[in-house]
Amino acid sequence: MDTSGNGASRRGFLLGALAGLAAAPRAANAQAVGIWHPPPPKKLPPPRASVPRDPNGVSPAPQFPSRLVNESVAALPAWVNNNARLVRRITMGVSATEMMRVSVLGYQEYLSKQLHPSTIDDSALDAVVAARWPLLSATNDVLFTSNSSTVQTQLQEATLYRAAFSERQLFERMVEFWSDHFNISIGKVGYLKVADDRDVIRANALGRFRDLLQATAKSPAMLAYLDQTQSKKGAPNQNYARELMELHTLGVDNGYTQTDVAELSRLLTGWTTTGTGTFMFNNTLHDTAQKTIMGQNFPADTFGGQAEGERFIDYLAAHPNTATFISTKLLRWLLQAEPTTAQITAVSRVFRATQGDIKLVVRAILNESWLAAAPAKFKRPFHFMVSALRATSAQVVSATTLNGQLGGIGQPLFVYETPDGYPDKVEYWSGNILPRWNFAVSLTNSNSTTTVKVDTAPYLTGTADAAVDRIINEFYGGEVSLALRTSLLTYMKGGTFNDLRVRETMSLALSAQAFQWY
Amino acid sequence: MTIPPESELNDSTGCEEYRALSRRQFVGGAGTAFAAAAVYPAWLPKVVLASTYVSTRDVMVSVFQRGGADGMSVCVPFGDPNYYTLRPTIAVPRPDATTTATRGIALDNFFAFPQAMAGLVPAYLNADLLVMHAVGQTNNSRSHFDAQRYMEVGKPADPSLVTGWLGRHLASAPPVNATAPLRAIGISAGLQKTLVGAPKALPISNPASFSIGGSTTTQAARTAAIQADYTAADEPLRSSALDAVNTLNLLKSVNFSGYVPANGAVYPNSSFGNALKAVAVLIKADIGLEAAQVDVGGWDTHSAQDPIAGSMAVTMRDFSNALGAFHADVIAPALIGVTLISMSEFGRNAKENGSAGTDHGRANAMLAIGKGIAGGRVVTNGWPGLATANLENGQDLKVTLDYRDVLAEIVQKRLGNTNLGYIFPTWTPTFRGVTR
Repeated sequence: MDTSGNGASRRGFLLGALAGLAAAPRAANAQAVGIWHPPPPKKLPPPRASVPRDPNGVSPAPQFPSRLVNESVAALPAWVNNNARLVRRITMGVSATEMMRVSVLGYQEYLSKQLHPSTIDDSALDAVVAARWPLLSATNDVLFTSNSSTVQTQLQEATLYRAAFSERQLFERMVEFWSDHFNISIGKVGYLKVADDRDVIRANALGRFRDLLQATAKSPAMLAYLDQTQSKKGAPNQNYARELMELHTLGVDNGYTQTDVAELSRLLTGWTTTGTGTFMFNNTLHDTAQKTIMGQNFPADTFGGQAEGERFIDYLAAHPNTATFISTKLLRWLLQAEPTTAQITAVSRVFRATQGDIKLVVRAILNESWLAAAPAKFKRPFHFMVSALRATSAQVVSATTLNGQLGGIGQPLFVYETPDGYPDKVEYWSGNILPRWNFAVSLTNSNSTTTVKVDTAPYLTGTADAAVDRIINEFYGGEVSLALRTSLLTYMKGGTFNDLRVRETMSLALSAQAFQWY
Repeated sequence: MTIPPESELNDSTGCEEYRALSRRQFVGGAGTAFAAAAVYPAWLPKVVLASTYVSTRDVMVSVFQRGGADGMSVCVPFGDPNYYTLRPTIAVPRPDATTTATRGIALDNFFAFPQAMAGLVPAYLNADLLVMHAVGQTNNSRSHFDAQRYMEVGKPADPSLVTGWLGRHLASAPPVNATAPLRAIGISAGLQKTLVGAPKALPISNPASFSIGGSTTTQAARTAAIQADYTAADEPLRSSALDAVNTLNLLKSVNFSGYVPANGAVYPNSSFGNALKAVAVLIKADIGLEAAQVDVGGWDTHSAQDPIAGSMAVTMRDFSNALGAFHADVIAPALIGVTLISMSEFGRNAKENGSAGTDHGRANAMLAIGKGIAGGRVVTNGWPGLATANLENGQDLKVTLDYRDVLAEIVQKRLGNTNLGYIFPTWTPTFRGVTR
């Protein structure tokens, strides 16, 4: 459908909402635009220890009135609360708990806290991960001798679990981003991905881009995945050299030539791994002759192969095209699919001024006025699944089934084959929607103390109306269109109000189109 | 690699008359050819095919043998004496060996099926099964990951291409049925690479149970609520959601459990057997399905592969019995045009390893089944030979026929799509007489 068609669809939606309004006597002011506001939460959780604001933080943007909803989010007209927007953007899914936290801390404080994950206690989660998926902390020597499918499922399950239950939600969102940006398929590299996830991605996800880039360049998983380990003097393999510039830093055809790719592949000869997967520079494989890459001269050398590689990677990390490329991609991830030129310029400037300090770049992107105007983004399957777990407060004793289901809904972790990582485009994902509806049914019907349990008891203590209100609070942070609320209420009251009816209504709330966006 | 044109493509060996005779003579007794007019079973849904099936295009069923099948066990080159030298413990005995239970079933005077492949003998006898040998891809990766990917994508060593050859075929061909919500199905939890890029293609692990889960009593009401909700969604979400609902309704109208295969065919009760059976049901239901991708595993035989009684025999028996059932059920009656192809990412080393298995190699055997396939033959583009000097890197059967030649000919001649430059970028195919 073209843009004008979208407009028509929106108008149709609003008309529908208004039609629903006529039948809803409890309509108040807010409902004039099809919004239903739930009663405020009765009890706030104790506020967590306050975290000082980032001393180097970008000044908070001036606040626009939150009711000025951008036209392009009109398909989801209920979303007007900036705090809720922030939670949707920087977590793996809203929950009533998270909404209470942001309402206590406020937009900036909540963001600051999430930007400093080390100040958030996550020991409970860490203990669960360590107990259930011990291979994640194993050395390569141990992993080398472990069953490869066990290694893979431990990494996948733990990642799913962390995304759902870590208190460090923005950190998990950033781990997901970098795991795609520096994509490695475990199908090709096996256990090496475990160390990459732990020591490269997670160690640097909110650190400095330069450090992250240098770490990926020495990650045995990356070197194996992009065939760098097969590259040697006289027969350089260009795979890694190309992606280092095309995907990891500058962007495609953005300041380098095919000759630069060839020269860089010569420069990187000798960057390889030991047998079981430790980075090593092997000078006997290194091409010591002179190279010129992007105008940078590397004179003939004898023993400088690792240092000159590091020097050029630093050069790439500091390159203005890298600042623009990474800033744009982060804007797309955290703000909107099509960032404006002004946004790209502003964030790239922060990237350069801070030498690629990811925290500060993220803070600049999550400027409140920008976020207030940003259209909703479509959840990828992983995000959808994790947000459903969070919405339903699912108790996950075993993640094995969930991990299998994640493949079924289309995004098995760490097996995307090409180095560009899973796409972040609605067009790519929207075709596979039915498996999400079925996952919603499966999850909400889960009631097992040994695998997954969704507890409906809190929903059954009051009326059907109260149960729907609770769903809207827990699943949507309190913001849904009147049409969706009406639909959920109609279904909840369409049969005997009992456990099954609640579970089915929950599944509809997870299946609804609004739940597919964030 | 230079591959001679079609006219020079030869049967493995032997003169013309010999070949004409050979099909029946060699495999006679191993199976029975089908009666020309098969009785079509009465089964419940929409039995409309023969009268309303207007497409001149075959339905494409693509099978991928994941893991790197040992083509020299699937179709044994008993006529090459080096085969027995290279495989002292895992060779299939010659068809003229005395022990009938273990000896090969001659397909001609050079190649034989092991007994575990007997399920496909009737299709071969019926001249519907074509076996191609020493087939493979130019990309010489020994990684399952890369080799499967490039084979499915249909272009070697291009990491930027993500759509599959069959996906691009469908994307460049108008739908047979413009209103069909489901043009292609991947019998899988996730869409296989081969089909990526196809419009209206869904991965469905089990079409028979494809529905909105949960209570059947409330299924309709819940589906209606979801459908209503998505009519307000923005594109492309709205259309894909409505297609999904339509596919739900469509598959609900198909009677999977009451299905009776034609010709008394019996599908093995295995994941591959059930997958092919489901595809058969969907094809016969005439819902506008144009392509199906089905996977079969168990081929990565690094140790104890024993094609006569061991693990590979089990894999091949399931494989050939399922394909044989599909042939008897769907292809032999010839009521609907269907072409099935089966391939694997690479073959295996010519020489067996120290564990009575084989490691990753190069060229392989590839199968094509259909009424439009010039079957009943084993063809090569010149058998490269198993003498050490003739092996690639001294260890592998050489690829003398690019698999894309086979696929391209089928795409153009059986699927009616001439956009070969789009479907197989940078490859100029040579047709090899694969189709009739």
